Amino acid sequence: MRSWIILLGGLALWAVHFFGLYFTGSIFLSSGTARSIAGLFTLACAAATLLLMAWINRQSEAVLAGWVSPAGRAGAVLALIAIIWQGLPVLF
Amino acid sequence: MTSETGFDPKLYDRFPTSGARPRGELEELERIWCAPKGWQYLTVVNNNYVGIYYVGAAFLFFLLAGILALVMRVQLAAPLMGVLPQETYNQFFTMHGTVMMFLFAVPMVEALGIMLLPQMLSARDLPFPRLSAYAFWAYLVGGLAFFSSLFVGLAPNGGWFMYPPLTSTAYSPGINTDFWLLGIGFIEISAIAGAIEIVVGVLRTRAPGMTLDKMPIFAWAMLVFAIMIIIAFPAVILGTLLLEFERAFNWPFFDPTRGGDPLLWQHLFWFFGHPEVYIIFLPAAGLVSMMVAMVARTDLVGYRLVVLALLATGFISFGVWAHHMFTTGMPTLSVGFFSAASMAVSVPAGIQVFAWIATLAVGKVRYNTLALFIIGTLIIFTMGGLTGVMVALVPFDWQAHDSYFIVAHLHYVLIGGMVFPMFAAFYHWAPMVSRRALSERLGKWVFGLMFAGMHIAFLPMHLTGMMGMPRRVYTYLPDRGWDLPNLISTVGAFVLAAGIALFVIDLIRNVRLAPGGGNAGNIYGAGTLEWLPTELYSTRSIPVVKSRQPLWDDPDLSKDVEEGRYFLPGSVTGNRETIVTSPLMAEPQYLQIMPGPSVWPLLSAVFTAGFFLLLTVQAYGAGLVSGVLAILAVLRWMWETDRPVKQPFVDIGAGINVPTYVTGTSTHGWWAMVVLMIVIGMIFLMTVFSYLYLYGRSTRFWIDPPDAVSLALIVGGAALSALLAAGSRRALLKGDGRKRLAIWLLILASIVISAVTFIDYRSWLAAGLDPEASGQGAVIHAFIGLQACLSGIALLMAAFVAARGARNFIPVPRSNVIDLPAIFIIFTAALGAAGPGLVRLFPGTL
Repeated sequence: MRSWIILLGGLALWAVHFFGLYFTGSIFLSSGTARSIAGLFTLACAAATLLLMAWINRQSEAVLAGWVSPAGRAGAVLALIAIIWQGLPVLF
Repeated sequence: MTSETGFDPKLYDRFPTSGARPRGELEELERIWCAPKGWQYLTVVNNNYVGIYYVGAAFLFFLLAGILALVMRVQLAAPLMGVLPQETYNQFFTMHGTVMMFLFAVPMVEALGIMLLPQMLSARDLPFPRLSAYAFWAYLVGGLAFFSSLFVGLAPNGGWFMYPPLTSTAYSPGINTDFWLLGIGFIEISAIAGAIEIVVGVLRTRAPGMTLDKMPIFAWAMLVFAIMIIIAFPAVILGTLLLEFERAFNWPFFDPTRGGDPLLWQHLFWFFGHPEVYIIFLPAAGLVSMMVAMVARTDLVGYRLVVLALLATGFISFGVWAHHMFTTGMPTLSVGFFSAASMAVSVPAGIQVFAWIATLAVGKVRYNTLALFIIGTLIIFTMGGLTGVMVALVPFDWQAHDSYFIVAHLHYVLIGGMVFPMFAAFYHWAPMVSRRALSERLGKWVFGLMFAGMHIAFLPMHLTGMMGMPRRVYTYLPDRGWDLPNLISTVGAFVLAAGIALFVIDLIRNVRLAPGGGNAGNIYGAGTLEWLPTELYSTRSIPVVKSRQPLWDDPDLSKDVEEGRYFLPGSVTGNRETIVTSPLMAEPQYLQIMPGPSVWPLLSAVFTAGFFLLLTVQAYGAGLVSGVLAILAVLRWMWETDRPVKQPFVDIGAGINVPTYVTGTSTHGWWAMVVLMIVIGMIFLMTVFSYLYLYGRSTRFWIDPPDAVSLALIVGGAALSALLAAGSRRALLKGDGRKRLAIWLLILASIVISAVTFIDYRSWLAAGLDPEASGQGAVIHAFIGLQACLSGIALLMAAFVAARGARNFIPVPRSNVIDLPAIFIIFTAALGAAGPGLVRLFPGTL
């Protein structure tokens, strides 16, 4: 299970972030409240992704296949960029 | 790293084995996996046959839909042409889109998966060969019947995405729309059956040592593809059911005058529809990634990045569905989010394209037909991708929406992203299934005509779109500047068709199918396992995989495999078998006894198709009979499964022993059940979305929910049902003496959950809920209908278990026959509490 979390954790956070934005926009439309919630949610997801990356770095290579950590890290980096990118519309 | 399952990787050093193999071992393997004769061709389940049938059928639908396109292009070649009347034109463009998307593109990639994956993974077959056969026959019978509607003027005519209110009974009173709704809903079930097979197959039947990091890219792509089908297709299945219910029973899901909303359809459809594009593209991209490495004679550049790109595309494709709805008046902020996501999805696609270009740049490219098709893919797909970024920009999309610019964009993406890779794959893998390869000389002509024809046909459409020509018009007036580009497009379509016709000639001239061996072999010098010598049993023995291109890295591999020097060189139980391995590290776990040929998948598919089609033509009695026969055929098919063999442990090679019967979370059956529950869970979640969406639109017609007593009864009943089902598993663990108790507990569990559904229905009835009166009533009846279906399946499962128990076909102390129905009933109970809980507490109490 740990290997799966490392491999897919970043991408899952990315997905959670997107659907969070969708629901925020659908419920609160384009109001200031929507922008605040979406902005805070973006920061929270970005922070969670950073925490995930730190956790992946702490995992011992001895108990994981050699490719799992690098793949998980790459996924988390991609997710972090995507989360920030998708959160940008709240600024405009 | 430590082992995933406790298996010692040092045991792999025992291979290849030495010494002579026992006499008669190979002959027995050949006997068990013998070729069919006569009528047996209808009952085969091996991927060698089913895969070829599947590819052939999908290609047939490609040709049929292509012919429709040609006739449409003739109609549009000049203004005010009279080749097709307006209504027939509507049917043609609807069928062209529908057949290309649902009967060609998705089935074709699924077919290629079923044909190639067992050999690529070096499995004897995928884990549920009868499910593959069922998926194929259901698709073929349903697809042919669906297409035939065109010949009697009853083909769907509302466009391939069937938007209400155009497709409501008010504007589409005939049964044309019903053909689409029931036909496509049914074909999607076939696609999901295939997806379950592929997910479990890729994760559980890889050759020992083939860790995820050594898996062929195509297998990765098929894994992502199948998972996407499992997540996305339930949305369109639910959507088609809801629209059919609205048409048949007047339940107003999409009728705003009674609290419904036509935009709900668009959300449900595009939640499926946009991932559908990637569902088609990703496997094709996987094929290209494999072929580009072979053409360039080097490893794929950026293997891990490409895998990451596949996964990222899979994830983000679910976040872009509403970019098809920019013109519907969504909140500005939401539009911004979807626009950003739509632009972001081009990043993982770009990673793959750059990886292909880099591989071609660092390798030594052979410029054969295959290479030409790959280069064509790169050019066409990149052009389609660029216009995709353009339409992701909201202001531009507002201008281009529903114009011929979109037609050009989607054809560039789909032809570049799927059709050209498919033709490349035909050239590459034809020698694996045919005694002769396809012609290089003709192939270059095929490529030239297709490449030129494609651009001549679709490049001008960007212009006609920008000049204001809307899509789906059956004719146009002269002097609008659309005449010349339309004429050029028509010429291009025929050039493209000439290329495809030449390919068909090449097929007829050269392809001599050889599913049972004797194929042309590895003429391109590829390095993956499907190019090992194969017969109907796949490879003689199953190798230990140590790299991504095993044939390049171990020149003796083919010889050693053929001499039976690896895993499972014969049949150890006298049955069809394959090794089930762990999902991450592919460590051997147990020997799966595989089912052989059977007529029941065919009959199940025919009767299932009969059920849907007879309902479509409103022959309800005959449809019901066909449905009952389908259920009986499925039960008969299941009757033969899950029978332990006499040997509890067997030697699968070099003294490595594994069990022949296991239960619990490591079994392929458990995995398949979990995947099925995800499918059902997605249908449930989409129903929840529909409920909340309609609540958000208008509550003018909503009534108060029933009292709390009914909810307490429902939750209590569901909990009791789950406890009984769990108790059933525990009772069986106590041994033979408790077997009867275990069966009774399971029966009781299914009865209780059915009673819960009935209580739910009765309480809403007493509260005055009318499914025809409001969107609320319609959605709550959809919830209850889903729960009734699941309860009915639970009852059937319990009856099946009881019948197996009566014949003593339930192994003790653990049995998949008890385990899997028990899990299903627990899952049904969870949904049975969650659904009623939501619709009573929200908006009532919360």
